[in-house]
Amino acid sequence: MRRHGLPRRDFLEGIDVNHPPLYVRGDILQEGIIPMKKLTASYLPLILGLLVAVTPACSKKAVQSGGDAQTLHGEMGKSGTAREGAGGGGGGVSPNFPDTAFSGRDGSNSLRGLDRDPSEERLSGDVGGNGGSGGNGGAGSSGNKLMAKSDPAAAARQLAEIRAEQVASTAAGLRDVFFGYDSFSITDEGRHALTSNAEWMKSNPNTQLKIEGHCDERGTSAYNLVLGEKRAKAVRNYLVELGVVPDHLSVVSYGKERPFCTEHAESCYSQNRRGHLVVRTGK
Amino acid sequence: MTFRTGVIVGFCALLGLMWIIESGAADVFLEATRPDFQKIPLGVVGIDAVGGPESPEGRAKLGSRIEEVLKADVRRSLVFSLVDLSTLGIKAGGRGGEPDPSFKQAAENGVSVIVWGKAGMKTDTKTSDVSMDGYVYDAGSDEVVGGKRYAGSTSVIRLMAHRFADELVFRYTGEPGIARTKIAYVSQQGSGREIFVMDYDGFESRQITADGFLNLMPHWSPDRRFLVFTAYRNRNTQEIDMIELATGKRWTLVSQGGLNITPALSPDGHALAYSSSHEGNAELYRLDTRTKAVQRLTTNPGGDLSPSWSPSGRELVFASDRSGGPQLFLMSADGTNVRRLTFDGDYNAAPTWSPRGNWIAYVCRTHKKEYKLCLISPDGQKRVQLTTGHGVDDSPSWSPDGRHLVFSSTADGKSQIYMINADGKDLERITFTGTHNSAPTWSPAS
Repeated sequence: MRRHGLPRRDFLEGIDVNHPPLYVRGDILQEGIIPMKKLTASYLPLILGLLVAVTPACSKKAVQSGGDAQTLHGEMGKSGTAREGAGGGGGGVSPNFPDTAFSGRDGSNSLRGLDRDPSEERLSGDVGGNGGSGGNGGAGSSGNKLMAKSDPAAAARQLAEIRAEQVASTAAGLRDVFFGYDSFSITDEGRHALTSNAEWMKSNPNTQLKIEGHCDERGTSAYNLVLGEKRAKAVRNYLVELGVVPDHLSVVSYGKERPFCTEHAESCYSQNRRGHLVVRTGK
Repeated sequence: MTFRTGVIVGFCALLGLMWIIESGAADVFLEATRPDFQKIPLGVVGIDAVGGPESPEGRAKLGSRIEEVLKADVRRSLVFSLVDLSTLGIKAGGRGGEPDPSFKQAAENGVSVIVWGKAGMKTDTKTSDVSMDGYVYDAGSDEVVGGKRYAGSTSVIRLMAHRFADELVFRYTGEPGIARTKIAYVSQQGSGREIFVMDYDGFESRQITADGFLNLMPHWSPDRRFLVFTAYRNRNTQEIDMIELATGKRWTLVSQGGLNITPALSPDGHALAYSSSHEGNAELYRLDTRTKAVQRLTTNPGGDLSPSWSPSGRELVFASDRSGGPQLFLMSADGTNVRRLTFDGDYNAAPTWSPRGNWIAYVCRTHKKEYKLCLISPDGQKRVQLTTGHGVDDSPSWSPDGRHLVFSSTADGKSQIYMINADGKDLERITFTGTHNSAPTWSPAS
């Protein structure tokens, strides 16, 4: 395997004075990656001494920096609160779900070892346990039990609701906003589209609008959810600037999970990088 | 004050320099798959057909199916090298598991382990039950060191082979093997994306959710009982749900408004780390799964996401765009000691810590603007690009033995799931159906 050491210059640039490399060392020791014997006896007193001398000061610096970040975050938080109100929060963290603590491997499924005179082990398929099967997923295989407790009408209902929203949004003539690669800033063309959308919102004051943030297929699924939210919030914030009541707007990010088109080409990517406005017809 | 700050910075830099000098010894690392690791030569003589089914074709098929699965498992274990015994004139041992005299000759030719067995429909039961016997000859002791006897319905034929393969790995390494592990993933179903679970080799897939909208990024509980994932049950808001695989029972753990993404349970199962934007932008939180108390871990104007626990549970690696494009950062599990890990390139995301602790796999954007898999050591000293070529690679996840990664890629057009060794060898596609399969996560071993 090829070894890539980080260039030393890069590494030094990467040292953040708020986060002394002392901690880096400590964590490596904790993770047991460098054996203790690597720490020669002569280094130990020096390091321990520096630890005592420097840690409080470094920590203090970190706290100060954290304070700055907190202030910045406060500003970000303000722009976020409008959405909370509109988003119909009421959620939070559930007090009722089972303990997920790991209490050792399931004994009934663990290996029993080879035996010179083996007794019969009866196997059964169980997706949650040791596993196995229930058919091979193909057509006509027996015992392919669906684990999902599904409402058979759920998919049909979702589809009907999506169609109703599409009809209402098309009738409203709402225009999408398109973004550049990796970008969530609104272009001049986007501003024109949003001006027309804002006019419509003002003449339809009883409407709830959902702003969907979408991304092209490039990049990771997870980070595109963050990027999609940034796009949706940029659209929301501009509509609010144009005088739309914040409580009438909600945002949701679909990342790259609900693309308009699926070709691997810029002509498709540019259509997928969008803020899509939907008239909410249901709850 | 200014002088004091200067002194502090100086001390910190000095410590950093010392650290660089000291940790120059890269040989303290065990490779995920060590190049000098000598695999154990193992030969599979065959799985003979005994008893039913009535037709000779059916009999041959049953035995050869088990043999095929067993050989693939042995090959993927990376503990054994599969020897072709056909050139050595080896015959299977007796029905009772006695070694054949030809085994000794094979041992002289360097074969360490010889495996054979028999399988057939059980004649003593009314149901269509299968039984399988497997035997293991060890060249070192020149004897049959043991065997296994399995029974079950025709739906567990593959499991018999997987379980036998794991017993072999266990016998020679003390580790449970990965042949019975599972991969949870997301698959397009109509206009929705649902959670599925399949065997590690891509077979036996089963649908877990059926909401008709989006379910994303499943992650296993350490005991394999539960999956946590992001759901959009009403299409307009995200939540983090948990489902019990044996029963299908489902709970909503977090529904805080905004993003509720990238959930990851700690190795001891006591904490759920996740990213939520309910306080403005995406931040990392830690939910105590016993007290249900929430602790905020990051405070930063950038987006923080994709936390992955170190094997000890003491640290987290995560992605953050606080410095521009997404980069990897490390911190202690209580949110302190944040420091940046990646400096190569302007897009590094989706980190996942190896179960052996020595590597972090992630998605890196190359200078050709391609999204590929990279590995970096947790001290940042070693970095390698694992995959090359076209297509967007995403969502790497380690096998519990730390020898393989599973990930999604659009290399063949549509997003499908692939497996690769941690040394970049043996790229293998494991999903072949459907229009979109993504977000694979490998279960713990059992």
